[in-house]
Amino acid sequence: MATAAAAHEASKVYGHGDNEVRALDGVTVEFEQGRFTAIMGPSGSGKSTLMHCVAGLDSLSSGSVTIGEHKLTSMSDGDLTRLRRTQVGFIFQAFNLIPTLSALENIVLPLSLAGQAGDQQWINQVIDTIGLRDRLGHRPNELSGGQQQRVAVARALASKPAVIFADEPTGNLDSRTGHEVLGFMRRAVTDLGQTIVMVTHDAVAASYADRIVFLKDGKIAGEMLAPTPEKVLDKIKHLGE
Amino acid sequence: MLRLASKMAMARKGRLVLTSLAIILGTSFLSGTFIFSDTITKTFDRLFTDVFRDVDAYVRSSSFIDVPFGGEQRGSTPIAALPTVLEAPGVADATGDIQAFARIIGKDGEPIGLDNGPPTFGGIASASVAGLWTIEDGRLPEGPSQMVMDRASADDGGFVVGDTVRVNAQSGSREFELVGIASYGDISSPGGATFALFDQPTASEFLLKPGNVDAFLVQGDGSMSQEELAASIQSRLDPSLKLEVLTGAQIAEETKDQIGQAIGFLTTFLTIFSLIALGIGSFVIYNVFSITTAQRLRENALLRAIGAERGQVTRMLLVEATVIGIVGSLLGFLSGIAISQGLKALLAAFGGEIPSQGLSIAPSAAVITIVVGTVVTIVAAILPALRAGRVPPLAAMRDTALESVGKGRARLAIALVVLAAGGAAVAASLAGADNLILGLGVMLVFAAVITAGPLLARPVGLGIGRPIAALRGITGSMARQNAVRNPKRTARTAAPVLIGVALVTAFTAFAASVRTQVRDAIGEQFRGDYAITAPQQGFGGLPISLADEVAAVPGVTQATGLGFAAIKLDGESRFVAVIDPTSASGLIDYRMVQGDQRSLDANGILVSQSRAEANDWSIGDVLDVQLVDGTARPLTIRGTFDAQQFLGSYVVNQETFAGSDTNLFDSFIYVTTDGSEGVREALFDATEARGLGGLESRDEFIDSQSGQINQILALVNALLFLSIIIAVVGIVITLLLSVYERRREIGLLRAVGMTRSQTWGTVTWESVITSLYGAVSGVVLGIGMGALLIGVLADDGISAFTLPIGGTIVILVISFVIGVLAAIYPAWRATRTDIMQAISTT
Repeated sequence: MATAAAAHEASKVYGHGDNEVRALDGVTVEFEQGRFTAIMGPSGSGKSTLMHCVAGLDSLSSGSVTIGEHKLTSMSDGDLTRLRRTQVGFIFQAFNLIPTLSALENIVLPLSLAGQAGDQQWINQVIDTIGLRDRLGHRPNELSGGQQQRVAVARALASKPAVIFADEPTGNLDSRTGHEVLGFMRRAVTDLGQTIVMVTHDAVAASYADRIVFLKDGKIAGEMLAPTPEKVLDKIKHLGE
Repeated sequence: MLRLASKMAMARKGRLVLTSLAIILGTSFLSGTFIFSDTITKTFDRLFTDVFRDVDAYVRSSSFIDVPFGGEQRGSTPIAALPTVLEAPGVADATGDIQAFARIIGKDGEPIGLDNGPPTFGGIASASVAGLWTIEDGRLPEGPSQMVMDRASADDGGFVVGDTVRVNAQSGSREFELVGIASYGDISSPGGATFALFDQPTASEFLLKPGNVDAFLVQGDGSMSQEELAASIQSRLDPSLKLEVLTGAQIAEETKDQIGQAIGFLTTFLTIFSLIALGIGSFVIYNVFSITTAQRLRENALLRAIGAERGQVTRMLLVEATVIGIVGSLLGFLSGIAISQGLKALLAAFGGEIPSQGLSIAPSAAVITIVVGTVVTIVAAILPALRAGRVPPLAAMRDTALESVGKGRARLAIALVVLAAGGAAVAASLAGADNLILGLGVMLVFAAVITAGPLLARPVGLGIGRPIAALRGITGSMARQNAVRNPKRTARTAAPVLIGVALVTAFTAFAASVRTQVRDAIGEQFRGDYAITAPQQGFGGLPISLADEVAAVPGVTQATGLGFAAIKLDGESRFVAVIDPTSASGLIDYRMVQGDQRSLDANGILVSQSRAEANDWSIGDVLDVQLVDGTARPLTIRGTFDAQQFLGSYVVNQETFAGSDTNLFDSFIYVTTDGSEGVREALFDATEARGLGGLESRDEFIDSQSGQINQILALVNALLFLSIIIAVVGIVITLLLSVYERRREIGLLRAVGMTRSQTWGTVTWESVITSLYGAVSGVVLGIGMGALLIGVLADDGISAFTLPIGGTIVILVISFVIGVLAAIYPAWRATRTDIMQAISTT
């Protein structure tokens, strides 16, 4: 299976000398196209840092990152930005939407920034999938937390990116709404053939993924295919030891 | 509490700097004005104390006419009375003194000294110890062909003893032999004025009338006090001469007072502009406090939650405001020193050079500036501080807090009530009430527009933003939404722009109207092909004899002079136009309503139709007129005319002044020619080449006369420049705080693909929309005010309102540029937003 995004010997170091902190320490990992991958690990394991670096939001101290055919390491800020809006989708835990824009405007924001109309048929399909057609003209503050996250999912999908990165997308939601949003993400992969990489510390959320990559102290600490919440909890227990 | 307040203030140095900046700018103009006027007042005080040091008594005519702007014209003193003064007990020496108009012409034909600068005097150089001049080089002048000049003029014109020098004065243009160079006390030229000095008979004949001087300077022999000396002289003088005697101390004081009065006008003028700047600054200060307290909502709520009382939170913010106010005003006072030098340079650039030596700073200037600045800051902080105190402790738990949008209906009601009150005041003043009522009305209208601002900001901002959104796509439409997402803040940010633009527009509209009127009026009145204009308005001018010399130039068919003089009419000081009806016929056209312009004889007067109607005068009525020397000269109304009032309400014949002490000059000479070749060159040789005025064709003359208002407009705009700067700083501060507030949003946008240049664009367009919102409302308000001003001045002959289309476009373009410039730093900060920090959840 083709690779949507990958990190090779990725290291991220903060501070100097005695204060040196290695957030990432020689991580090599691949995220396959058309699959839903979760990154798990305890606080400070480097999971968010890995995601930010692979997504082109942050830069590595050493090593390399690729998204599709593009090698990120040598790109300028402008090139990185343009790559993010065409090749990468984002879902954050909170503050996902621009308060002055309507739901629809938020969905097509990356396309608008690129000055493109996008694939209308695809966008319609995405909107139908998240089921918010009647709320498109509303501002974010007129939407519930779950609806806001669904709009964020739709925005991440709208430009048909090579990969979507989600950072604790259900962290601020109650469990029922969380399941709803995770269900949409799952369908985006299964039905629409998208690629999602999700950072989470929630075993139930992670169990929606096809594959889980475990991180500890900035290093890969194992993998799991076809996870269930029980298997994940068990693995986490072992990681803590 | 005080320690907490100062700690919290210091924790946000950036915010502290921004708030202080607004206060510094607001107070610096005020302090600059104080220092500037202190400095020039001190300079003149020192000068006149010095000048009259050796003068114990001063004899002059008791007959005078006040003229506008703190001056007077006084009758002459006959030199024949000098022996009587010299014989009076206690007198050691006495000499005649003249301070009349004379212009020294440089070797290149250009007059020495500025056209609108310090005066150019002619006077007497005598050996008397009471005289004011000391000869440095050469000797005293003797006889009708010798002169002496001041050291500064000699240096300026490159003159040395032995040169031949041309001087223009009331009696004409003559050449003299320079026999000496003089200094005035220890200085080369008092106050930057130029001086041409002659012996007494030459000075009297050339500058005034033979046998006349302006005054006698008397030195006592030390046997009696100045008061006793003055009384001693007064008792010897023939009462029919109408002479009065002042002590040396009195004349020094009076001269200082007169200068002080003139400086007072200037100071008042400058103070008005510095108060405008301070008012605009107070808006910026209010805005900064409002935004920062909104941003500190959680912090204040936390304080409340852990047990701070309402009053404590409010007091804490007021203490913070007081500290910032004191520090800001102190810095503002110090920068006022630089501003005072800037004001001096500015006035010099507009031809009003003012001498000043060193720098004089009165302690009161510092005290007033700091007190006013601090009080303004505290007042501006009161509302935000009260709002901060009312924060519910629960707000600490909430996430972000926008500033509440007040009740629109109540706001609208207040705005409408204030507007109605303002409108009523304006209507009353149009109906003839005091101008003070008009000022009040205009202030109320301003207050109404600013009160309604938050209601207007949204629709107007959206309207202005529409084309930007259409042209700039997503960045434009986000900028448009950002600009109106907090209408209160937008309105407050735009208020300084609004006030500044409204004032500039009002003056521009006023100037445009005046320009049109002057153009029309002069076009109607002036029927010639060429005009010669005196360079200095108000003091001196062209010799009366020049009109005849011009008429004799080959190719000239007719030439006539037009001058102005002060008279007393029914006991009131008035300026009258002075013409020679014979040569003026067909060349100066007073559009007569009744009577004939040519019937104006030495005992006649023409009055404007509006004055005639106001006073119920008709042809044949005799007006009680007194000349400057006190001569009664009843004048009969020969006709009424329908001309603009700035061309004069009264016209008299030159002959009316024959034999009186009135100094007569022409301000203009109008000329018709046969159009023959070389006539312009011949006219030039007869006038401008000899330093006698400027020669212009009909079109050039109409252009330059109607363009004179432009100079005043430029000065007003230059003085409003600081207000504009404060408005720009206000926009910069608001944008910076907004960018800081929205750092998370900007981070998100950057994450999902907004480039740095798009980020820059969004902030810039937001700034442009805010600035244009202020400018558009300001232009509307300004045009209204301009029209109003014209309406009020309709009685003074300015009636037709001209819409300043070009000026308005320029103002809008400048506001656009201001928006772009103000956004530079905030936009740069926005592009530097750390994406990681902005989107991190904690």
